Amino acid sequence: MTRYIRNKFIGLIIVLIGVTILSFIFSNISSVDPAEAFARRTILNPTTEQVENLREEMGFNLPVHIQYLNWLRNCIKGDLGISLLTKNPVIYDISKKLPATLSIVSLAFLWIIAITLPVSILSALSKDNFFDHIMRMITIIGISIPNFWLGFLMLVVFAIAIPIFDVVAYGDFKGLILPSLTLAIPIASSSIRLLRATILSNMNKDFVIYARARGISRNNIICKHILKNSMPPMVTVFCQNIGYMIAGSAIVENVFSWPGIGRHLVDAIIARDLPTINACVLVIAIIFVLLNLFADVLNCAINPKILQETGGF
Amino acid sequence: MKDILTINNLSILLRKNQSQIVKNISFNLEAGKILGIIGESGSGKTLTCKAIMRLLNEKKFTIKGSIRFKGDDLLKMKEGQINNILGKDISMIMQNPMTAFDPMMKIGTQIVETIRAHTRLSKKEAYFMGMKELKKMNLKGVSEIMNSYPHTLSGGMLQRIMISIALMLRPSVIIADEATTALDVKTQSIILDEFNKIRESGIGLIVVSHDFGVIAKVADNVIVMKDGSIIESSSVYEIFENPQKKYTKELLNSRLLIREMRHA
Ligand SMILES: Nc1ncnc2c1ncn2[C@@H]1O[C@H](COP(=O)(O)OP(=O)(O)OP(=O)(O)O)[C@@H](O)[C@H]1O
Ligand SMILES: [Mg+2]
Repeated sequence: MTRYIRNKFIGLIIVLIGVTILSFIFSNISSVDPAEAFARRTILNPTTEQVENLREEMGFNLPVHIQYLNWLRNCIKGDLGISLLTKNPVIYDISKKLPATLSIVSLAFLWIIAITLPVSILSALSKDNFFDHIMRMITIIGISIPNFWLGFLMLVVFAIAIPIFDVVAYGDFKGLILPSLTLAIPIASSSIRLLRATILSNMNKDFVIYARARGISRNNIICKHILKNSMPPMVTVFCQNIGYMIAGSAIVENVFSWPGIGRHLVDAIIARDLPTINACVLVIAIIFVLLNLFADVLNCAINPKILQETGGF
Repeated sequence: MKDILTINNLSILLRKNQSQIVKNISFNLEAGKILGIIGESGSGKTLTCKAIMRLLNEKKFTIKGSIRFKGDDLLKMKEGQINNILGKDISMIMQNPMTAFDPMMKIGTQIVETIRAHTRLSKKEAYFMGMKELKKMNLKGVSEIMNSYPHTLSGGMLQRIMISIALMLRPSVIIADEATTALDVKTQSIILDEFNKIRESGIGLIVVSHDFGVIAKVADNVIVMKDGSIIESSSVYEIFENPQKKYTKELLNSRLLIREMRHA
């Protein structure tokens, strides 16, 4: 087990390095010059000389790989740099924005669980009946509708046509409901399809027939045998989806004017605020990677077979 | 002798096209006897067994006729009543012991769950009862077995655990559908000896096989199935010494052929 986790961990470090290198390369491909952008924001009519001085000061004149290594060195020391936009330490800005995103994502996660489990079970039990057909239609719509469009619809329906919620509602719990639902609906829809299919394929397994032959009640067979055996793929998918939601929160945060890390990242990209971009990418990647690790550990814990295949504790 | 299971005019039809898979079969099972069912692949042996235990998907199959267990028709019972009988009065030994147990649940938990579905014992009491019953099967390291996941045990061991579970609640009928097919010859003969012991305790057994050797070793009476019908039914002695139907003779001959090939 420890060896398994250590191997995973090394893999994850490699992923992090890869992601940050990519982020560096892509930021440098862009034609907009970060030093010039910064100069124009801070100085009225900057001269070429002033721009050059700034460039040198900020290290943007160095080759990309040197820039990356410098960044990496500081990063290991815990210094992610100063934001070119707000002039605060990057890490300070992020720590202010991250909780807003995490709160939507956590609530979205609860929605996903609360919707997916009962709907999938009912759909599987009433396979090809009315409820199953209706849910199939709804989930297909849920999967295919773009996030920003769903967000606008939510706002139009529940904040304007029927004003239960406020259009701009950052601050209280009520304000969390629409954005988190917007994040949750597409993911819940695809999870329902996956879990329903997994439950149905487990229902025909030998161990279910044997459980029935032992006189185990229907409810116990569903809860204790079928659901449990359907969980391993779901654990992975759920954890990955939390990562996707954090990474993809920018769209929903923009629609709902929500001051989270996704919107922060978009603002930084527009302003060519390189330290902030790199730090945001790093933070999101770390969260993503930790969630994957968590999913693996959880799967090991609930699935005795994986443990054996990977060498045991 | 006393009949515990009486099957009358049992037919099984596919709902989809109303094709008849099992055709109007009748037979009975006596207490303390082993009834062998033999027939080629696809002759309807498994469907018949599943129909008796009400394990067939009723959306897929229509079942006609009656299956009387101690006088009551199993086919007319509600789900709750059936659940009380299955695993307690009528129990089953599955063909493939490696896939029959829930892979994510310890053997002990599955045993406790079975006992508690039919008794008022506490978890602890059920656990001890399970250990005691496993010991009767001459299984060694019973507490480790209780604490193991199925994939860590061998097929022969799992099959003996399954027999032990089948016997645990003192059933009157045990159905074993190809229960020895997946096992090696040595384990197979151990299991068949167990069946003979079970018979002596007064339980009625249905043993399904397409191996005449298995049937010859344990059965008292034999029915021969072909294409969903019973074509011959008599004592095991009669079947071997004086088979009436050409098909039965062919089955016997092919069995002999296999034996010759093994010896060659
Ligand atoms: N779920 C099903 N849907 C449709 N047809 C089925 C189904 N199960 C079985 N059958 C058909 O019913 C017939 C009898 O099958 P059954 O499994 O009872 O045979 P069997 O005698 O047990 O054979 P084997 O020796 O291979 O186990 C077969 O022809 C099979 O094609
Ligand atoms: Mg069969």
